[in-house]
Amino acid sequence: MRVDPYYVANLANSLDQTQSASQQLTSELSSGVRVNSLSDDPVAAGQNVVLLNQIQQDDSFTQSSSLVSGQLQVADSALGSVVTQLTSAISLATSANNGTMNSSDVKSIANQISGILDEVQTLGNSVYQGQYIFSGAQTSQTPFSTSTATTPAVTSYNGDSDVNYLETPTGQNIQLNVPGNQIFLGSGSNSVFGALNSLVADYSSGTVDTAKAVSDTEALGTALNYVSQQRVTIDNSITQLTAATDSITSEQTQLTTAQTNLMQADVGQVSTSLSLSETQQTALEDVIAQLNSTSNSLFSKLQP
Amino acid sequence: MATISSAMSIMTGALDADQQALNVVANNVANANTPGYTQEVPTWQQSESVQIGGQTDGMGVTETGATSLRDRVLNERLDQQQQLASASGTRLSSLQTVQALFTPDSGTSSSTAGDIGSDLTSFFASFSSLEADPTNTSLRESVLSSAKTLSADISGAANSLNAQQLSIDQEASGITSQVNSLTTSIAQLNQQIETTSPNADAGTLEDQRQEDISQLSKLVGINQITTENNGLSITTTSGALLVAGANNYQLSNGMVDGVTHFFVASTATASGATSDGSSAGGTDITAGLTSGGGELGGYLTVRDQDIPNVLTSLDQLAYGVSTAINTANNAGTTISTGTVPTPNNIFSTPPTNVAGAAAAMSVVMTDPSLIAAAGAGDATGDDSNAVVMANLGNQAIINSSETPTNFYSTLVATLGSTVSQAQTENTAQSASVTQLQTQSDALSGVSLDDEASDMSTMERAYQSASQAFTILSNIMNSALNLGESTTVS
Repeated sequence: MRVDPYYVANLANSLDQTQSASQQLTSELSSGVRVNSLSDDPVAAGQNVVLLNQIQQDDSFTQSSSLVSGQLQVADSALGSVVTQLTSAISLATSANNGTMNSSDVKSIANQISGILDEVQTLGNSVYQGQYIFSGAQTSQTPFSTSTATTPAVTSYNGDSDVNYLETPTGQNIQLNVPGNQIFLGSGSNSVFGALNSLVADYSSGTVDTAKAVSDTEALGTALNYVSQQRVTIDNSITQLTAATDSITSEQTQLTTAQTNLMQADVGQVSTSLSLSETQQTALEDVIAQLNSTSNSLFSKLQP
Repeated sequence: MATISSAMSIMTGALDADQQALNVVANNVANANTPGYTQEVPTWQQSESVQIGGQTDGMGVTETGATSLRDRVLNERLDQQQQLASASGTRLSSLQTVQALFTPDSGTSSSTAGDIGSDLTSFFASFSSLEADPTNTSLRESVLSSAKTLSADISGAANSLNAQQLSIDQEASGITSQVNSLTTSIAQLNQQIETTSPNADAGTLEDQRQEDISQLSKLVGINQITTENNGLSITTTSGALLVAGANNYQLSNGMVDGVTHFFVASTATASGATSDGSSAGGTDITAGLTSGGGELGGYLTVRDQDIPNVLTSLDQLAYGVSTAINTANNAGTTISTGTVPTPNNIFSTPPTNVAGAAAAMSVVMTDPSLIAAAGAGDATGDDSNAVVMANLGNQAIINSSETPTNFYSTLVATLGSTVSQAQTENTAQSASVTQLQTQSDALSGVSLDDEASDMSTMERAYQSASQAFTILSNIMNSALNLGESTTVS
């Protein structure tokens, strides 16, 4: 059985292979990434796209939720102030209704309630980052204005009834606003401005029509409860937002771990493989050098 | 009857034969590194014996020429493997260029841009951010800028693929002239071999022919058929005739639908295609060449199958995203105070037949106030259309069956598998080629050790023959001196 006389050339080919293996391992080690090209692990590369998509979606939600929570906090504190104002308006009205006040005291109560109405209107026209938060979708329009052309005065609403939602990556819709007409101009005895305007009209002449004033005061009480109920919607949104942000953040952490495990090189394993490969390469080079240095044919032995 | 002079002539014959054998050995040693050279061994033959008066006398030895040691079956097997390995190797290197366009994103915050998967996510996430504050100009600007990044990366990838396709086309068309010169040379060698040694191995002529065939099989997949008188017919793997005896059929290039097609002539002298791509009596064999092996097969597979597959997927992605977003934007309300164009598109309208959508993808909207974040008929502060557009990223808008991220994920996984498979095939085939090459070299390669020992043997044989001649010459002297008193020396 004859031997291939060109076997040293084949050894040189093997040297190429060990060198390219070493190169691959070195690039893995230096970049820290196991999958440097799609063919290294096609399934992992495909999986990586999906994981990164989810991680980045979660990250973007976390950022916009901090923007939105500021708006919700402002709305909540405005409504809190409205409740305080309305409570003091009710106590003023009650004191006017007990019949112990004289005409100028009653008129002064009318003025105070009118001042409270202005304050509530200002709170209804609250602004967050340059936009009216109780205006529905008409965020550049001042929602409330009062016209004193009639008696009682009429507060009208310039916004709309649109509600905006923020969608979480899990598909949950978080309500971002409550329209102003829903809070302050509810139908019948739920209307805050309606009750306040009526009370101002009741007391401004100085004489109190007790039956009417009492019924208007009761209406203001009903409206106050109604505002508190509306405030619950905003509070719910704040709670939902916090809960959603927490769960999204923890999901993001888990997914990041999964993605890292998928794509990162196992440094210990790669280092070991690299040192084995380099050893093999050195050994091969030595063998080739050895074979080339010894006399490689019978000719050198033949005496002329 | 045998005489001294006949013995001397036998020795002369032996000396001649040894000289010729030494010539063969020297030729082997000189050609030890010539590619395609097969080692030759001298053939010894006993000269015909003479019968006179019932007595048979031998007439010595002649050297009848050198025989090349080759195994035709092994060579053919080696050529077949070489054309497969050459095809998969060419395909692999082109595919590695393709997959470099889609390097996996490592996901760290400092990872470089240019990954279409993360561009898609950022684009749809910019609409999610817009939900929180729909009239905010800087959020709108970031929607447009992420749209521009997405369209730039998709169209950039498509343009790179188109450019690569073009360069592969040029490489492939360059192979034609190499093939033609090899087939011409093979046909000439066929003729020479047929005339000089129709019934036996033709030595160096066959070495050259085998070398040409080996080069040809690396370029184009071929089948070999041995014909009478030591001739050879060569066809492509799909059966188109390239060489038949002393005739060769030229390959030529022609442009069909913007890509190079290959034509083989039907007559031995004419060209197969005219310059405008119509076949001048030749046959278009491009489809057969693609699956046939060799470098040309590898190039054509990448040009006509692999790259178009990726381009089609990119086109579908671009078409799906552009169409869905444009439709949604036209169904909402902008915050623009001027005139709103009709149609109010974010992306350029893709071609209706989808092909070319990726390369042509661009952002046509320049004014961020034209983004319709509000729902139809709603006031400007509404965000319902922004919600709709953000949700498009999780809906089946590509081919009505897949979300953009899943579609892209499938695209990269499929491409990666194709490359990985080509790598596996190439490794296996290269190993097989190495093994066959080793076997072939073991038989046909010149071993300097063998030649040295042969040369030593010939040297001894020559010395013995010349020694025998000297002795016979002395005997002749004695014969001449029979009965004479004086001596001749």
